[in-house]
Amino acid sequence: MAVSGKTAPLLLLLQVRWQLFVNSLRRQNRRIELLVQSVGIFFAALFVLGAGFGFFFGTFEGLRSSQPWILGMLLWVVFLAWQFTPILFEGYSPGLNFREIARYPVSFPLYFVLHCVYGLSDPAALASLWWMLCLWLGVLFARPAWSLPAAGILAAFALFNVFCNRLLIGLLERFQSTRKGRERMAVILLALMVTPQLIQMIGITRMNALMPGKTLLFKVAALNRLSPPGSVFAAITGTGGEQLAAALLLFGYLGVAALLLRRQARAVYLGELHSDGSKAHRELKAEPGWKIPGFDEIISAVIEKEFRYLRQNARLLLQLVYPLVIFALLFSGRGALRKGFPAAGQGSTAMLGMMAGFLLLGVANMAYNIFGLDREGFGRWLLAPVKLQKILLAKNLAQASLFVAMYAIVASLLLAISHLPWLPFAGITVSFITVLVVQFGAGNLFSVWWPKKVDLSQMSSRTVSPAAGLASMLVILPVGMIVGSVLMASYFLEIPWLPLAAGLVLLAIIIRLYFYSLDRAARYIQEHMEEIEQTLSK
Amino acid sequence: MPEIVLETHALRRSFGEFTAVDNLHLVVERQQFYGFLGPNGAGKSTTIKMLTGLLRPTSGEIRILGRDLEKDSVEVKRRIGVVPEGLALFERLTGTQLLNFSARMYGLDRNTAAQRTKELLEFMDLADAGDKLVADYSHGMQKKTALAAAVIHGPEILFLDEPFEGVDAIAATTLKRLLQRFISRGGTVFLTSHVLEVVERLCTHIGIIQNGRLVAGGALDELRAGVKISGHDQSPLTLEEIFLQVVGGARQAEESLSWL
Repeated sequence: MAVSGKTAPLLLLLQVRWQLFVNSLRRQNRRIELLVQSVGIFFAALFVLGAGFGFFFGTFEGLRSSQPWILGMLLWVVFLAWQFTPILFEGYSPGLNFREIARYPVSFPLYFVLHCVYGLSDPAALASLWWMLCLWLGVLFARPAWSLPAAGILAAFALFNVFCNRLLIGLLERFQSTRKGRERMAVILLALMVTPQLIQMIGITRMNALMPGKTLLFKVAALNRLSPPGSVFAAITGTGGEQLAAALLLFGYLGVAALLLRRQARAVYLGELHSDGSKAHRELKAEPGWKIPGFDEIISAVIEKEFRYLRQNARLLLQLVYPLVIFALLFSGRGALRKGFPAAGQGSTAMLGMMAGFLLLGVANMAYNIFGLDREGFGRWLLAPVKLQKILLAKNLAQASLFVAMYAIVASLLLAISHLPWLPFAGITVSFITVLVVQFGAGNLFSVWWPKKVDLSQMSSRTVSPAAGLASMLVILPVGMIVGSVLMASYFLEIPWLPLAAGLVLLAIIIRLYFYSLDRAARYIQEHMEEIEQTLSK
Repeated sequence: MPEIVLETHALRRSFGEFTAVDNLHLVVERQQFYGFLGPNGAGKSTTIKMLTGLLRPTSGEIRILGRDLEKDSVEVKRRIGVVPEGLALFERLTGTQLLNFSARMYGLDRNTAAQRTKELLEFMDLADAGDKLVADYSHGMQKKTALAAAVIHGPEILFLDEPFEGVDAIAATTLKRLLQRFISRGGTVFLTSHVLEVVERLCTHIGIIQNGRLVAGGALDELRAGVKISGHDQSPLTLEEIFLQVVGGARQAEESLSWL
């Protein structure tokens, strides 16, 4: 389709975004991935459309029944969805490196406009716009007199969201482009992840005690007026001077966001690039590599390489360590959390079982795409004079050792503080190892059937392909059912040693199946090496 | 009689209905510096991928150092070194870590691996960048690292896919020096390149592939003797002239772009 005239660059940009999306669906031998993606898109669209009706009726009813706070809450939903969904789901929609646009002969004002329009074409932005339209229709039907100023206010809010989101993505991209930035971001994410637990730990009552006279909720509600969604709410529902002040505040936010975004976009337009740099060292040191006791040079070398890679993947490490952080908070928590942490007997057994399950949920992030981080380096495995089974085994050993270490920490702490009965402890430990072997065995197959390139410098939130992600759930479901059945049988038949015995029998079977999976995966690599290499490197 | 170190018989590779390499017969002897040439898309990289175990042939046989590549791939891989098309580097390791890792994958002990890593980094003029991530290297530095990784275990044959592409003159000189030294010590080099001047200067034997078929092959002098160009003076043909003659020559001027 040829485009011309003043709108040509805009249309071209939207056309490119659409083509990127369509091309992302054109993958050879990826029918299941396509199916998973299509189902996901269908349900997401259904959710967005359905939620739109909720926005309409929520606003309508809220304004009609003198409960306008519903509108305020919905504005927060729009704001958060618009700002954070593109970040969380960035990896799910094919994106364009906007930096590339600056290579073409476009002026900075046009570049800036394109930058914003590109942000508007994001699925999350489109969904948010739809919800805002529904919200406005709610205002129109409930309070027709408010609808005209509300339209202007909501348009300004939409523009603010575009600016703010592009600004946020630009900042995150800047963080992601350097190793230090990624590490800092991981720390920030960790802090955000544990904030609810920290609040629980400190105890809301204690926080309220620190602020006499007012509850925490009351204080937060007062601050809400100063927030962008709060100012939109006040500008629509307020009266007289309050309304004017809120509108001015909103336009102030809009102006600041526009200025900051302009500054950021200008720097990128002029070619600002952040990347890792390091000082050259004159003195060359080549230390011998790691020697892992009990393993030969090759397995030691692969394990060393895997750990060096893992060390650089702060986000994945964060996901892995999260259960341990939760455990630490439960361990040292107070109030409701501490109640859920019994020190002895059945309670500690249940806690160990729960933590084992929690840790196992994280295995899929690594095991179901074991070559993802290798990218172009995948070819080096093929060039090495080593059987592929051995490489897969070494990679699995490196990754599994992390989970075993975390389990060991949890178990040691529980053993130290409680009288954990040995029989359930042994049963849970054997089951943990069995499920770990199942996950890695299945993961090897899914890693080669549906490999996915993982780029640490991109905000992609996916460490495995959609199909492999779905497969991990399909694997964990029957495993969970078997574990549950054994536990129930043990309880109702009063056979306390049943979980341990069943775990040992299953482990023996699973280990055989694991080696079978190694052979199958290696054979598949031999037969599809070029296809896998292309997927991982391009 | 010279030892044959690389031999293919009726080698073929198809991608769907497209045949990239067709009925390829190659013979390379020890200490030959074999240049494998061809226009873009002729099948050079596909061939080198098959010869190094990075791509399965559709049919045909590959024998390297007297062994069948398919049946004895691990032993063959142990004795060859490869710089593949995409370099296949673990970019999130430092140069030192990568070379150390490569050496140990070939079964070298830790101390030997560390010693050779140090020597190679110094030889390749990468000593200052040894603790930088390979991802932060320039293209030329990555090429040199890939070559270092290919020779660290002391292979008998080197397969190099476009080793001089994107490499500056200084780095190219280092690479040439290393390759000539390798040949003089009994090694064999099989390389693909578009830089015909370099191939002409380095290679003792040439193979030209077009549309997946070997259309000319042999020692450079044999090729010169075999190719006749009407109107050419008595001076020896350059490799470029031979190449253009064999693959069909340059396009006519009238085929040029209308706006340039």
